[in-house]
Amino acid sequence: MNANSHSRAKLLILESRAGTIEQPERIWLEDHLRECTACSAHATSMDRTVQSLRLVPIRLDPSVVAATRVSVRARADQLGSRRIPRVWLWLTCALSWAWIAETCMLLWRGFAWLGSRFGVPSPLWQMAFALWWAVPALVAAMALSYRSLQGADSLSNP
Amino acid sequence: METSSVYLGRMVTVAEAMGKMGDEESRELARGLRARDPGLLDRLIERYQYRLFRYLMFLTGRRETAEDLFQETWMRVLEKGNLYNARSRFEPWLFSIAHNLFIDMVRRNRSVVNLESVDCLEMNGHFPPADTSSGVPADRLLRDEQNAIVATALGRLPAGFREVLVLRFHEDLPLEEIAAVVGSPLPTVKSRLYRGLEKLREGLEGATS
Repeated sequence: MNANSHSRAKLLILESRAGTIEQPERIWLEDHLRECTACSAHATSMDRTVQSLRLVPIRLDPSVVAATRVSVRARADQLGSRRIPRVWLWLTCALSWAWIAETCMLLWRGFAWLGSRFGVPSPLWQMAFALWWAVPALVAAMALSYRSLQGADSLSNP
Repeated sequence: METSSVYLGRMVTVAEAMGKMGDEESRELARGLRARDPGLLDRLIERYQYRLFRYLMFLTGRRETAEDLFQETWMRVLEKGNLYNARSRFEPWLFSIAHNLFIDMVRRNRSVVNLESVDCLEMNGHFPPADTSSGVPADRLLRDEQNAIVATALGRLPAGFREVLVLRFHEDLPLEEIAAVVGSPLPTVKSRLYRGLEKLREGLEGATS
């Protein structure tokens, strides 16, 4: 036995108590502890430390828990009242689709008329027609994505 | 031989059932958190109150700070509940919220945050007092003395060390989950765990000898 083996044993004692030791090292450590009284005493001391750590008393004042519950409930009510009911969201979507279906042909004719009036090539006014429908939805999607990314950042990157 | 294979088969079935129950519970939890169900929040506070508070006491070392962060953590759980991923466990997510709030708090007072530098000078003497509610007076006195020694030794450790100690020895979290909670690489977590344990041992030995 040399100084190196004692140093190795001390490191392995830490690993074994932290639950990170590998099986071959565990076997080596157990053999070493059987033969070395100093390292064995060190292991006992480490066991006492872990035991003391596990027994640290923590007292939680019930009034803190009660106050937390009240605050959380009040905040939940506040957030709930701000939330738009889902039925309204679906209703708005349905109305907007109906409006699109109703006005699509008229708008197409309007764009065609403008195209012929100002001599704009057909592919160009047709592209403008497509953008007319797509741009508001794209802007809304980008704004929503940005908001949810911000929310995720505030949790993952304090 | 047959008995042991039947036993193993049962064990696998039980483990699978527990896994399914866990999955189902997580999905239920995620749904409730997304809906900001106050009843669910109430049950979560009831279930995790001591564990969260113990974590915060170890992390902050101050009762008042831990109490403030306790409340803030649950508020954050309510507000950011839609970000909880049902595929991961709730506890590490809860602790990571508390951890981030603590970092925010420290950052308000400092430009650079390193939990290994939030040390004894701030925390010493603020660690939890011993529970003096029950027991024979002589035993209680002895227990108080022992608790005071442990509290002092813990108070001398940097916050980052205490944090990994509580997550490992009280919460029994695997090192990978601890790394996710504290936002540090696995080798850093291991190093803090070993150094924290050794420093605590030295502190306790020094106090008792």
